[in-house]
Amino acid sequence: MTGVEPEVSQRAGSETDRGPLGRIIGWLYVIGGGIGLAAAAALLLEKITSLEDTGYVPSCDISPILSCGSVMVTPQAEAFGFPNPIIGVAGFAVLVTVGMVLLTGFRPPRWFWLGLQLGTTFGVVFIHWLIYQSLYEIGALCPYCMVVWAVTIPIFWYTTLHNLERGHFSSGGAGTVGSALVRFHSVALVVWFLVIVVLILQRFWTYWSGLF
Amino acid sequence: MTNITITIVVVLVAVGVIGGVLLFGGNGNSTSGSAVPAEVLRNEKSHTLSEAEDDKVTVVEFLDFQCPACAQYYQQAMKGIEEDYQGKINLVPRNFPVENIHPLAMPAARAAEAAGIQGKYTEMYHQIMDNYQSWAVAEDGQNVNSNVEQGEQAFEGFAKEIGLDMAKYRKDLESDQVTEQIEKDQEDAQEAGVEGTPTIFINGEQFEPGQGGDVAQQLRGKIDEALNE
Repeated sequence: MTGVEPEVSQRAGSETDRGPLGRIIGWLYVIGGGIGLAAAAALLLEKITSLEDTGYVPSCDISPILSCGSVMVTPQAEAFGFPNPIIGVAGFAVLVTVGMVLLTGFRPPRWFWLGLQLGTTFGVVFIHWLIYQSLYEIGALCPYCMVVWAVTIPIFWYTTLHNLERGHFSSGGAGTVGSALVRFHSVALVVWFLVIVVLILQRFWTYWSGLF
Repeated sequence: MTNITITIVVVLVAVGVIGGVLLFGGNGNSTSGSAVPAEVLRNEKSHTLSEAEDDKVTVVEFLDFQCPACAQYYQQAMKGIEEDYQGKINLVPRNFPVENIHPLAMPAARAAEAAGIQGKYTEMYHQIMDNYQSWAVAEDGQNVNSNVEQGEQAFEGFAKEIGLDMAKYRKDLESDQVTEQIEKDQEDAQEAGVEGTPTIFINGEQFEPGQGGDVAQQLRGKIDEALNE
């Protein structure tokens, strides 16, 4: 054993480009984060404009069901006492920056990935609470919010799989379930999206079927 | 099979099933696309803002007095339609208060129904809708007002304004008659497939605004179409 081997082994054990996820996660953060940032910023601008002009009709008020205006005035739109899009603007801006840094080849340490896991887990839990509120309490869908939902789920999903694949959650690696999830990563994601699509269709069936 | 192959198969099957159900599966227990029976949309106790002798066109609006979209519809479409089509169409407002997000929707509905007992539903309806900003919106000018006491005081002011017998109004506010009227509206709304407010039916057909454009123009177009049939 030479003095070089442990260093190589340690590097390989922490971060290399092995597996498909290492290659896509940087791009996912940049593209998904960018889309989420644009949607959150648009929603924030709509909120500011409606504060300036109480008679303003948001551009995303398409129908009684597809309406930002109906959602923006509810208490759920300010879950922490300030407009939710502020969280999106801050969070997605961070993700875009992280994505760009990852694309330069930077390999963050484990604590950094666990921090991303914490942030994206908060995001995914929060948007599922908002999905429930939108469907079953408010009874309206905010188009910009749905864009945020659509990007938050894959960002959380691939961050989790990346951490599983790299063994960031424990020293034992991904494990059997983790390996299966990594192997069929997009199947699980599509099924996740389908469940939400079906819930939206079922909740507002009258509206959707009326469009055809 | 690989991940990509299974994903593509799942997506194709889902698109096929959902698309097929949307295109060919009918409307389940909903009523969109087929006329809702007239007796569900209007009964002998329903109020009217306009009445047509020929009963050729009946427009029914399920509304929530505190819903911002209903207030917008009122200002941009319904108020003008009521004036311009007075005597030409039946215009029937019905209650669908969404209490969990609009805390003053039910008190407003009760105030309107209590005024209706004294034959002044229309006057109270207009007071409530014309003064929406004063009672429905919180002090920050943005969120809906959740101060029920403040709302009830505003409705009492409207009741005095339109000359109601105040003792009777206060008694009627809590009456079973008012409760039953609102519950009947809610039951009928459910049967008609109403899921949000405002939901408007023109001769039993649910009005669905097209994307973009002026909702008032679209609504008037549909009414004119029905009048000219």
